[in-house]
Amino acid sequence: MKRRANVFFVCSPSARVGVSTTARLLTDYHIFTNAPVIGFETDPHEPRFAAFFPDYVQVIDVSDIKGQITLFDSLLAPDDTTKIVDVWHRSFPRFFETVRDIGFIEEAERLGIEPIILYHADASKIALEGALALHEQWPGVTMMLVHNEGASPLEPQGLELLRNYPAQGNFVVAPLPAPVAKVLDDPNLSLATFLRDPPMDMSIVVRAALKAWIGPVFTQFQSFELRQRLESSAYLQ
Amino acid sequence: MAKKAIDKRKQVTSKNAEEARKPLAEIAPAQGVRPEMKPSVILVGADKGGVGKTTIARAVLDYLASNNVVTRAFDTEFPRGTLHRFHPDLTSVVDLTATSDQMRILDTLNTEDVKVTVIDVRAGGLTLALHALEDTGFLDAVHEGEFNFLIFHVLGSSIASLDEIEEIAPYVEDGHYFLVKNHVNDTTFFEWDPITHGKYFEKVVTTGELTIPKLNEMSYEQVEIAGVPYSTFVADKTAEGHPARQSFVLRGYVRTWLNKIADEFDRVDLLGLVAPRNNAKSGKAGK
Repeated sequence: MKRRANVFFVCSPSARVGVSTTARLLTDYHIFTNAPVIGFETDPHEPRFAAFFPDYVQVIDVSDIKGQITLFDSLLAPDDTTKIVDVWHRSFPRFFETVRDIGFIEEAERLGIEPIILYHADASKIALEGALALHEQWPGVTMMLVHNEGASPLEPQGLELLRNYPAQGNFVVAPLPAPVAKVLDDPNLSLATFLRDPPMDMSIVVRAALKAWIGPVFTQFQSFELRQRLESSAYLQ
Repeated sequence: MAKKAIDKRKQVTSKNAEEARKPLAEIAPAQGVRPEMKPSVILVGADKGGVGKTTIARAVLDYLASNNVVTRAFDTEFPRGTLHRFHPDLTSVVDLTATSDQMRILDTLNTEDVKVTVIDVRAGGLTLALHALEDTGFLDAVHEGEFNFLIFHVLGSSIASLDEIEEIAPYVEDGHYFLVKNHVNDTTFFEWDPITHGKYFEKVVTTGELTIPKLNEMSYEQVEIAGVPYSTFVADKTAEGHPARQSFVLRGYVRTWLNKIADEFDRVDLLGLVAPRNNAKSGKAGK
């Protein structure tokens, strides 16, 4: 079955909920599985996502028309390449207004490209309202909830909040112990390369913890991808 | 001049008026024009340059085409024409002050297959154009109910625009007179205070006001460079129908802008005013 051309909007209206981490994990997943991928970083001031993938990710200023042209025209290019957009939280409302104003979702669907929103949940009202607004605008677009337990821990009552999100499914990113999280900050650390060939000079403990952290996330991505392929398979219609 | 214009139109038995109306009266019965197919003339003008009247005229042509209303246009930016550049198949360049061109426009209003005529008046020529229509007896014919007459008066942002309203008020009594605020060129319109508003607007009966939203400069510029109708640009085609490979983002912005304008035209029931028998559901700019 052919891999679908997906465009992932990794986003949240809130800061520091793990959006760039998810964008990074997803990009590394594609590199690890030898799937073509390119990324777009929309935070021109602190381009963390771009820092990890200088060969794969462009920094775009979406407040500028030229930046919008570079981004959205690229997202629609018929090149069978997965595109991952790290939507800066400050540009969240304006970004999706642009998506609406140019009719991007409709055009993407017309071209057989599937837009997928990876929406990061947290306990704030603004996060829930943002998700509901996106769902109301585009009820047919796949929205997957991402809960980064380390960046955005929720109390047991908070977990109930997640049920209110209009998502078709969810991904969970487990928390990392601080020493391991610090290793992740190294822009030279490629998670795909780490999985294939872990560096021998890395602490055994850190190596094991990192592997245990990445594994379940990649498994979730793989399951999602498989489900997508099955759902779109002509044989199963 | 205004008082004179009013008096002249009311003197329907005057020799000049009768002689001017003759060609229209003679043509109409011969072609068997039925009341419900009354021809319409849409005049788009301003007494000031740079307010975007040709932009409005182009938007009107696109809107009517998308609603399957057969239309023709006359561009009075003689001799070169601006509207003509974007709609060459529909548009003829004319000199509205020349008798031969007046005949070309007005004597053919009842052409069977084209019921709607758009006239894009050259910058600064709105009053002159109305005066010419007055002299040819066209306004008398409108008064008699032979034609629908719509005027899109594109306003500038200064108080001088309000003076223009007073000047042309006498000519538009029997027409559908629309004041158009065009934000495309980034004009900031001040909200006239009630006293100022009353002072000018009480002098004229308007059918309504139209607000044309802003289109970003890059999209606007790209359409200008492409030199095609807005809908052709949105469809990513050249004038010859080949793929144009324009930016999707720019096309998207133009599509959204056209749809907002269509909403404005729907709001004032433009279709109902020009083509009652063809008043189908409004067609938005295509995907």
